[in-house]
Amino acid sequence: MHCRKVLELLPKFIENDFSEQERAAVEAHLKECEACRLEFEAMGRLVETLESFPPVGVPKSFKEAVMRALPAKKPRGEK
Amino acid sequence: MAGFQQKVLTDTEVVRIVLDGDQEAFAVIVERYQKGLANYIFHMVRHYEESLELTQEVFLKAYANLASFDSAYKFSTWLYKIASNHTIDHMRKQRAPESPIEISADDGGGTYELPLESHAQSPHDSLAMKDMMGRIREAVDGLPSSYRELVILRHFNFRSYEEMAKITGLPLGTVKNRIFRARQMLMERLKDVR
Repeated sequence: MHCRKVLELLPKFIENDFSEQERAAVEAHLKECEACRLEFEAMGRLVETLESFPPVGVPKSFKEAVMRALPAKKPRGEK
Repeated sequence: MAGFQQKVLTDTEVVRIVLDGDQEAFAVIVERYQKGLANYIFHMVRHYEESLELTQEVFLKAYANLASFDSAYKFSTWLYKIASNHTIDHMRKQRAPESPIEISADDGGGTYELPLESHAQSPHDSLAMKDMMGRIREAVDGLPSSYRELVILRHFNFRSYEEMAKITGLPLGTVKNRIFRARQMLMERLKDVR
C-alpha cells in the first residue's frame, strides 16, 4: 500500500472501521513508514483532544424554567 | 407522579406517562437531556446564553409534538433531530458574524470550564493545551457547516454514525465519508501546531 492511499484511509483507521485485510495492509505500512506513522499519531491526538473538550453546563434553574414554560394544554402531534 | 421511579423508566415509558396527562413527568426528559442538548447547541452557535434559549425552545417544541414521537425509534435521536433542525433554522435566520464565547462564573451554575488541570502537568503545559484547544476549536469552526455539525455530534456529543445519519437525514455512507473528510481537513488546518 502506498502513502497516499494510507493517508486517505487514516481517518477510518482511527475508529477501526476497517476490514481485517485493510487493517493488515495499513499496519504493515505504518511499521515501515515513519511519515505516515507520525500522521497517524497526530490524528489520534486530534481525536483525543476533540473528545476531551469539556461539556457545557446548564444552570441549576434550567429545568424549572423549562417546566414553567410548558403550555397548560396537553401535547399534540400526528400519529 | 406517585410511585414514579425515573431511573427504571425508559424514555418511551416517560413519554407515555406525559401523554397520559402527567406533565410533571416531562421533567425527567429535561433532566436526562438538558446537558447533552445544550452542549450540542452551544458548539453549533458558540454563544452560551443563546444556546440555553435554543435548548429551552427545543424542549418546548418536543413537548408540543410529543404525540408524534414514534416509539419504534430511539427517543434521543428524535430529540436531537428536533435540535438539529431548530438550531440550523436559527443559524440560517441569523447569518450574522458569530459572537465571541462569553461565559461568566456567576451565570447561575454554568460549568463550562477548560479541563486544563486534568491534562497538564505544569503552567507551561496548561498554556500549551489551552492554545492547542483554541486552535482546534478555530479549525472546527472553520469547517463547512455540513461537516462541522457532524464533528460536533460525533466528537463533542459522542453520537453513533447510525444516530448521526438519522439526526441529519443523510445516508450512513455520506455521514462516514464526511466525518473522515472533516478529520483530514482539520489535520491540514492544524499542520503547524501538531
